[in-house]
Amino acid sequence: MRTLFCIIVIASAAVAQDTVAPATGEQVGTVRGQNTGDYNLVQSWELGYRFASVGGNQDQYRSDVNFHDGVRLLGSSFTINSKDGKGHWFDEIALTTQGLGNDPYESATLRVQKNQWYRYDLLWRQNDYFNPGLTVANGAHLENTTYSWQDHDLTLLPQNWYRIRAGYSRTTQNGPALTTEQEFNTQGTVYPIFRDIRQQFNELRLGGDILLKGLRLTLQRRWEYFKEDTTDNQAVAEAGAAPQILTSFYRAQPYRGTTPGWMGNLFFERKWLAVNGRLTYASTKGNFVQNETAMGVDRFGNSQNQQYIILGDGDRPVLTADLNETLFPENKFSIVNNSSVSNTRMDGNNTFEQFSNATFLVSTINFQLLNIRLVTNATDLRYRFSKQLNVFAGFRFAERRIQSIEDASVPGSPYSGITAQQANHTEAGVAGINWLPLKALRVHLEGEVGRNDNPFTPVSLRNYNVIRSKLQYRTKTVTLGGGYRENYNNNSIQITAYSSHARTYSANASWAANSWVSLDASYTKLHLDTIGGIDFFAGSPIAQQITGMTSIYISNIHAANLGLRFALTKRADLYLGYNITKDTGDGRASLATQPTAIGQAFYNVQTFPLTYQSPLFRLSIRINEKLRYNLGYQYYGYNEQFGLFSTYENFHANTGYTSLLWTF
Amino acid sequence: MAVAQPANKFVGSQVCKTCHPDIWLNFYKNPHFKSVASGKEPEDKTGCEGCHGAGGNHVAASGGKTTIPRAFSLMTSTQALNTCLGCHSKDLSRANVRRSTHTEADVVCSNCHSIHKPAGPKFLLAKRQTELCYTCHAAIRAQFEMPVKHRVNEGVIQCTDCHNPHGAFSSATPAGSSAALVTTAFDNEEPCLKCHVDKRGPFVFEHASVRVEGCEGCHVPHGSTNAKLLRRPVVFTLCLECHNGAGTFGRENNGVFAQSASHNMLDPKYQKCTLCHVRIHGSNSDATFLR
Repeated sequence: MRTLFCIIVIASAAVAQDTVAPATGEQVGTVRGQNTGDYNLVQSWELGYRFASVGGNQDQYRSDVNFHDGVRLLGSSFTINSKDGKGHWFDEIALTTQGLGNDPYESATLRVQKNQWYRYDLLWRQNDYFNPGLTVANGAHLENTTYSWQDHDLTLLPQNWYRIRAGYSRTTQNGPALTTEQEFNTQGTVYPIFRDIRQQFNELRLGGDILLKGLRLTLQRRWEYFKEDTTDNQAVAEAGAAPQILTSFYRAQPYRGTTPGWMGNLFFERKWLAVNGRLTYASTKGNFVQNETAMGVDRFGNSQNQQYIILGDGDRPVLTADLNETLFPENKFSIVNNSSVSNTRMDGNNTFEQFSNATFLVSTINFQLLNIRLVTNATDLRYRFSKQLNVFAGFRFAERRIQSIEDASVPGSPYSGITAQQANHTEAGVAGINWLPLKALRVHLEGEVGRNDNPFTPVSLRNYNVIRSKLQYRTKTVTLGGGYRENYNNNSIQITAYSSHARTYSANASWAANSWVSLDASYTKLHLDTIGGIDFFAGSPIAQQITGMTSIYISNIHAANLGLRFALTKRADLYLGYNITKDTGDGRASLATQPTAIGQAFYNVQTFPLTYQSPLFRLSIRINEKLRYNLGYQYYGYNEQFGLFSTYENFHANTGYTSLLWTF
Repeated sequence: MAVAQPANKFVGSQVCKTCHPDIWLNFYKNPHFKSVASGKEPEDKTGCEGCHGAGGNHVAASGGKTTIPRAFSLMTSTQALNTCLGCHSKDLSRANVRRSTHTEADVVCSNCHSIHKPAGPKFLLAKRQTELCYTCHAAIRAQFEMPVKHRVNEGVIQCTDCHNPHGAFSSATPAGSSAALVTTAFDNEEPCLKCHVDKRGPFVFEHASVRVEGCEGCHVPHGSTNAKLLRRPVVFTLCLECHNGAGTFGRENNGVFAQSASHNMLDPKYQKCTLCHVRIHGSNSDATFLR
């Protein structure tokens, strides 16, 4: 039983607020569960009560954690397996759930299969998503939507030389979120408002595989549908600075998008050669209408009745092709080559019409095109000197061509827009080594150097290099690991300079001392410093162009985890944990006063030190063979050293759960 | 003159069961049991010997690892990979396994999958997925413990929603540094769009950098101190670092246009760019993403 509980706590150790329902994997040894006829059945259900007490900024708590009071089916698992693999209707049913009963993070998975005949998989998830409304309105927290996903996949004849696949996926988002609508208050300040958005995405898939003489052909046809039906109808008057007033506002902007797509894949493997080729094509078409009417009084006291109608469509055909060839001239040596081509063409047009006080005012026609063609090739060589040592090296090449047209005109007039074309090339080399100096010790070293001759943005990769290294020592009871990664990018040109330097150090250790105590610990340091040239307007009373300033950002994050597991008695087990994430920024203790107001604005956001920590414990007591009592507690503390825009969003929360776990 | 060794014969899983009942007892719950249940597979693809090879010599020698043709603990990583790919190479999700960064780093099937001691009923993973990935990627764990993050630790999202540990097809979007096994959505688009479908477009007015550089141009997908997973704590520094008018950057190859002279950055409302430019991912109505 102690072994079983070790499985339980190990499975639950890494998560922030997990249940302690047992893992359902079958270990070697005694068969768990009950035998019923030709089937074996294992199930566990954990029912409990969550509680949360929050102080400080409730909205930030909801954004970062979001657990609340209430009864939950914290977790469950249910499996049935036929013992001879020849069940009548099914050979396996596996169901798992998490957080059902209004947890913010709910999910369920189901697999039903009968050997040789069918396999069905379901994945359902729901996330009550709460998030600050960007950095607007001084961090006002008004986004409160529910994301829901479901994926169904059915495979017929899964072990046959031909297989048929069908699938359906659905994603929805509902609830208040940021709209594009802006209103004002009596000070004349505009701000976006939040309305119930309604978005829905559906996808149908149909395809299959055929295997003939070692050659497998996969074909899939997809149909995707996206729609958005967010509307806004406001009849309540909204007063601005006198005499302005908005007496009514109506907006509808339905959008419908459809994407039929094809995918074909061909694979074969021989003793010395493996080839995989893929071709995909998808063509999205979107149609939209935006109808907006606003009535009220303008700042001169005149009545206004304004209407905008915008309608049009957009197209995006995407074609991609990949070809992988792997050659094995001998056991120790392999060559892998990948060639890929993708072409994404986006074009769209709209007609914009404005009416003021029922009088036609203006009409414009817009057309835009953005075409991106990307051709890549990568070749990697691997050579194994011995079981202990292998090396690899590779070269990657990418050419990206971008074509752009931006046009606008009034009806009847010729286009006189901007057309542009550009190309950029990236060349990168990688090399690395995998070495096992001892049976338990593993070393990985890797480096990459890349050059791009015409990056698309000032922050894109231009002259970059990457170093990756990992070290792992592993025995039956001890695992020690360490890693270092460095990413450096310099994208400086004559007028502006940009560089980014990220270094990541990590170390981790696990120790299973004996059957009643074990330890897990990790530490990571993520250091990032970037500097970029900026050009903007600022000043009082008249804004002047300011050049020569830089935007600096420095973060220095220390993250640590500690987990200790004890089997206190034959009946009671305890897990103690502590997680902390601390950004010490550039080390400044306070915000110093800068000589200029604009200098102060940038200085204040160069670094954002904070501490986010979370100690926790979980206690599990065995009542009898089938029943356990669980108690969990977790504290969350969030503390910003400097508030953004003078707003602090600190919070602390005491959360936990108490539950009964029934396993049989 | 070398003495000819007797050919190693297949003995069948029932013989293996004699000495390894602990493994056999639960094996009917293992996906590989299909090969036994079917009764139609050839000997070299059935049950224990399907993976470990013919057991005749092993039985004759009364056990011992060295008499097992394919004892995984004695094999090189490449041999382990090739053994599994003997059956599993033809699935689309593993089409890029030969060139994946995991394979390059000598991380192969048996490093993540445990055939006889899985943590769950699906995929035979040695540990639960997040825990498994964190074993090597401790730094990623730290990112998911930032205040704002995708809900991986909470269990609603998994690493494999965005990554394919067996190797990914090239994304249609970014060029340059090797992608970290990032999978594609809808066969050829960024994985972010699988959930954030409203950002997919196509829009009449595309924010070109979104399409060319991808979402990571502005966002850090794992975790951030910004509420919208932006690369900076505030939005205006992020925007201004690109929109500085310099060089040959941007859609028209003559610099990403700088901010308007009417935007006085001393006014706090202009420091919150997306206050007005609300359709920053792309708009059908307005070229500057205002509606």
